[in-house]
Amino acid sequence: MDALTPIGFIVAGYAAFVTIAAVVGVVLKAPRPRWLDQLAWMLEILAVVLAVGALAGWSSGRKPESLSTFLGYLGALVCLMPLALQSMRNDRSTWSAGVIAAAALATGVVAVRVMMVR
Amino acid sequence: MTQTEPAKTRSGPHLVLLTVYAVFVLAAGSRSLVQVATKFGEAPIAYSLSVVAAATYVAGWFAIRRAAAGSAGIAKVMLWVELAGVVVVGVLSLVVPSWFPDDSVWSKFGSGYGFVPALLPILGLLWLWKGRAAGSTEGDR
Repeated sequence: MDALTPIGFIVAGYAAFVTIAAVVGVVLKAPRPRWLDQLAWMLEILAVVLAVGALAGWSSGRKPESLSTFLGYLGALVCLMPLALQSMRNDRSTWSAGVIAAAALATGVVAVRVMMVR
Repeated sequence: MTQTEPAKTRSGPHLVLLTVYAVFVLAAGSRSLVQVATKFGEAPIAYSLSVVAAATYVAGWFAIRRAAAGSAGIAKVMLWVELAGVVVVGVLSLVVPSWFPDDSVWSKFGSGYGFVPALLPILGLLWLWKGRAAGSTEGDR
């Protein structure tokens, strides 16, 4: 277990938390609250930390199974949430929280995949 | 012409569908590109089917956007094609495993993606059906 493993667990766990929070918003049919955006941006910061850590591991000699897959996952890890938030910038409806839920879930899955292939 | 709001800004469950489709365009597209570019000879049928799956997700994304704007015909066809693809490839991957030395996106009904590929067209068809039952996209608010 290296230094990045706990960060991977934190990102995956926090992504699950954001997903659940967003799904609860959809179930309650509430407009998307501002704090959900803040939770999502926090997830993005954690995802960037994980990506930087994975890149640092790669540059210090760790060999991923497939470099293209590894870099693709890193790109997805850091891009998914900003794209989702940007596309929902002017929409604060209930279903925009569903978009955040889907993006958070995908970010969590990609974080796990990064830990597996790095 | 009473419609003043562009269709793409209308809210509804299709936004979540579009997000998941976009994720699958990215996932299936990159996966198939890597597979075809680096090891196509190892499992040509499986990797070709991955390309088909990626193309279907691109078409599905556009079709759902059109359906949200009120034109559901193409989406209905695309979603049925996608569902048929998942079922046929899923069955083939179980019945003729020699054709699939490596998994395609739709192998074993998309088990590699948590069966989301099988669920996605069903959810899309349910959304179309619900929208039609509620009178076009009225239920999208």
